Amino acid sequence: MSRALLEVRGVSKAFSLPSVRRNTVREHVFAGFRPRAHQRHVVLDDVSFDVKPGEAVGLMGSNGCGKSTLLKIVSGIFVPDSGHVVRRAGITPILELGVGWNGELDAVDNVHLIGSLMGLSLPELRNSLDEILAFAELEAFANLKVKHYSSGMAARLAYAVAFQAVREVLILDEIFAVGDAGFRRRCEERYQQLRADGHTIILVSHDPRAVRTFCDRALLLEHGRITMDAPSHQVSEAYLTRLHARPPVDAAPLAHVG
Amino acid sequence: MIGEFGRGARTAIAPTSGGTPDGLIADCRASVELVWTLVRTDFKARYHGSMNGFLWALLKPAMMFAVLMTVFSFLFQDPRYKLNLIVGLCLWEFFADATKTGVVALDAKAFLIKKVRAPLWVLVLSSMANALLTLAVFSTAIVAFLCISGQAPSAINLLCFGAYIVALVVMVSAFALAASVLFLRVRDLNQVWDVVVQAGFFLAPVIYPLGIVPERFHFYFYLWPPTPIVEFSRAALLTGITPTSTAHAYLALEVVACLAIGVLVFRRFAPRAAEYV
Repeated sequence: MSRALLEVRGVSKAFSLPSVRRNTVREHVFAGFRPRAHQRHVVLDDVSFDVKPGEAVGLMGSNGCGKSTLLKIVSGIFVPDSGHVVRRAGITPILELGVGWNGELDAVDNVHLIGSLMGLSLPELRNSLDEILAFAELEAFANLKVKHYSSGMAARLAYAVAFQAVREVLILDEIFAVGDAGFRRRCEERYQQLRADGHTIILVSHDPRAVRTFCDRALLLEHGRITMDAPSHQVSEAYLTRLHARPPVDAAPLAHVG
Repeated sequence: MIGEFGRGARTAIAPTSGGTPDGLIADCRASVELVWTLVRTDFKARYHGSMNGFLWALLKPAMMFAVLMTVFSFLFQDPRYKLNLIVGLCLWEFFADATKTGVVALDAKAFLIKKVRAPLWVLVLSSMANALLTLAVFSTAIVAFLCISGQAPSAINLLCFGAYIVALVVMVSAFALAASVLFLRVRDLNQVWDVVVQAGFFLAPVIYPLGIVPERFHFYFYLWPPTPIVEFSRAALLTGITPTSTAHAYLALEVVACLAIGVLVFRRFAPRAAEYV
């Protein structure tokens, strides 16, 4: 059996929310530097799983269950409070509908910026620039500042970079919710191609069909814990069942941190 | 080819060169390319796509010099006042500009920090490129002027001036590292720093000679990092007197102290920086 590319072991994360917001020197001074009470919100609680080379793993869970935090910890953007993540390969994370763009720069410069942070060399970037722009259908807007892009254009550019700049592990957040039918179809084709090439993928989705179609295995995250790790069709069914069984108005105190 | 399986084993953030020479060279190249891209795009965003925009960056200190020279030349009759002023101003401008950019360096890159695992210290240090380039242009101009006008500093003094600039850059970098991570938690740190810089301009002997301050206060003036840099640079470049080794030892101590504090604060707060942007 091959060695896991990603090992997530006992990862816990809590955000400490102060009772009073004090973000400035002025506020601290006026409050006389009095200590504040803090409330702890546990977002992830002892999460462990492995991802093996070439696997496509779905991650499902309702809003605020900790998916985004988990992805950020796996990608190395956040550090866990306890537990650890072993990464045996490079990761390309595409989080929250797109990578980060600087609105003051055009598409070409933004692609250079994010591409070099993702570990691409400048010759590689120059070579793939046309492909990236073509994939996003943005050739005509290559020299337009990104602040003038529509949200759909910005998101398409993000996925085009991710699909060209991909390292061994690709983390995709709600990939198949972007763009029109044509763009979605190209994303799906490219996705299948990446899988056939042997890439490892973590796919976050609320869409049971996407998880069933594109993943072998899936994890169900509920209130910061992994409650199910099973073949994707079983998990997507369980997700649907739980969604319908839930009371309509969910008390969601964690929604803003999840 | 991009997208080829396996190319991603190398990451820009946690180089897995495995200690092999080839791997190390590849990592160095990746870091250099990243810095180049950051600096280039910074310039482009700042000067709206035009590299000529850098002229504006040079015009600001040049204008300030012209104004101060006109006003204060009447007050201080010393014929060397103008040269003293421009050496002081050129170093001060770097200090003020680089520290102000440094405080907000990470916040300005929030769009990256939230989305990819980025080497934060590279983002902070590359934010000073603009100020560094202005400093390079002005100090080269000053040294060139001294050489042309027959007041060329000796090789040892020139070397000392180079060392003072390095010391200044190290202290400013240390400050930028610490302040940039603290700014994410304390959101008016830039305003506080603006006020400190404004007062600090008069604490450092930029527009006046330190000689007019009673000597018993000099020690305290020297604690403000720009003071020893400005005073030592003037001594080396303009009066031709190399500061004593005791003076150099104090400066080295100040640099090491700044660097230690900066790095400690950065290491303490940087890992959770992404949670605060």
